[in-house]
Amino acid sequence: MTPTVVWVHGDCLAPDGPALRAFPAAPAVFVWDDALLRRRLSLKRIVFIYECLLELPVTIVRGSVAAEVAAFAAAHGARRVATSDSVSPGFAAICRRLAATLTVEVLAPPPFIPPDVPLDLRRFSRYWQQAGPLALQPTPPDDA
Amino acid sequence: MSAPLRRSFADRADLVAYVREQFPEAAARDATVSPIRGGQRAARERLARLNPVRYAATRNALDGAVTGLSPYLRHGVIGLAEVRDAALAAVRRAADAGKLINELGWRDYWQRVYRQIGRGIWRDREPLKTGWPASAYAAALPDDVAQGTTGLACIDAFSQQLRDTGYLHNHARLWLAAYLVHWRRVRWQAGARWFLEHLLDGDPASNNLSWQWVASSFSSKPYWFDRDNLERLSGGRFCRGCPRAGDCPFAGDRAVLYRRLFPQLPPEAPR
Ligand SMILES: Cc1cc2nc3c(=O)[nH]c(=O)nc-3n(C[C@H](O)[C@H](O)[C@H](O)COP(=O)(O)OP(=O)(O)OC[C@H]3O[C@@H](n4cnc5c(N)ncnc54)[C@H](O)[C@@H]3O)c2cc1C
Repeated sequence: MTPTVVWVHGDCLAPDGPALRAFPAAPAVFVWDDALLRRRLSLKRIVFIYECLLELPVTIVRGSVAAEVAAFAAAHGARRVATSDSVSPGFAAICRRLAATLTVEVLAPPPFIPPDVPLDLRRFSRYWQQAGPLALQPTPPDDA
Repeated sequence: MSAPLRRSFADRADLVAYVREQFPEAAARDATVSPIRGGQRAARERLARLNPVRYAATRNALDGAVTGLSPYLRHGVIGLAEVRDAALAAVRRAADAGKLINELGWRDYWQRVYRQIGRGIWRDREPLKTGWPASAYAAALPDDVAQGTTGLACIDAFSQQLRDTGYLHNHARLWLAAYLVHWRRVRWQAGARWFLEHLLDGDPASNNLSWQWVASSFSSKPYWFDRDNLERLSGGRFCRGCPRAGDCPFAGDRAVLYRRLFPQLPPEAPR
């Protein structure tokens, strides 16, 4: 199997998150993002996130995210980084930078609405007309 | 690779002391720590107490049976699907969990919009429907709101709770946002930035798009409220000793209030 590391980020701090679950033996890293810290991340939030991290099998570092993840992968001789999906544009940008030197595998958490259902996002009411009935269905056992 | 940070602490006080030392720039701005604890164990304890029927009946009241799950959902400590499944498991008929699942849907919806528009969430999605031009709104957060010194017992308490705990009930958020945007005529972005800094669940999608919903740049009309509404859902706790009860900006006839806030708009259809 390709040597892999897991990149854990602030949008998926679950011990059973998809990347940690798919690669339970892989070394994992979390990076306190210097850019985000400069943009006024409060101490309240830092403590909250830190408490989440203490339940996860991760190495915690601080710096520039893509550079630190790449260095962590190199230190472990890994060619692939696995992570959990996020909608944020900052996440997409970091993935693009990582993809320059590593294979990036993005894993999705169990979906709230089945994927690939086309949804009208103009207003919540339109979205919910389509999504509401699907959201009332429990997660199928093999997706959980 | 930079040197790893510590992972082992005697207790919470030990962790907090370490974080204050490692993140001095944040500590210098505001060294407050929330009583709300991070981690999946804490999230699951809340999840175990889920009561979707009481939630549906009481969620609008400040002391209603809301879940307090938002910081955990925001950081993916638990997922929307897991909360939905727990809600369904806690009721006899799926419809009894409908209200809670509908609210989870708001988070899912904002996330999808964010995926689509990215940093566009910082710009008005649509023109405001308040009758006021964008230039009528101030760019900066007023100090008295940021410090909680307006003299309005409700607003000051919300400001304080935001800074002390990083959590506010949905209605406190709505009222504080409407007060800033419609009464003080401040640009929603100033309020959104303030919330994002302090909320443990601070999330560009849910936060900014909710502010836009209040402001009316992502809805068909502005959200506003009156004293009756606030007094009822807060059990009167603020109005009772409020130093400004005599000149409450939220009190009075709804039609008069509406005309004061939105003088350029035609009168509101009666409800
Ligand atoms: C001005 C303003 C700013 C807001 N900023 C944020 C924010 O930064 N992050 C955030 O998660 N929520 C935000 N909300 C939405 C909502 O107020 C909070 O999600 C909710 O109050 C959190 O408390 P709870 O977990 O007890 O909610 P509950 O009522 O117990 O709801 C359960 C979960 O559903 C989701 N949810 C419920 N209502 C909403 C909603 N209107 N929009 C989005 N998700 C919702 C949340 O994930 C919440 O944890 C904002 C609302 C307003 C009006």
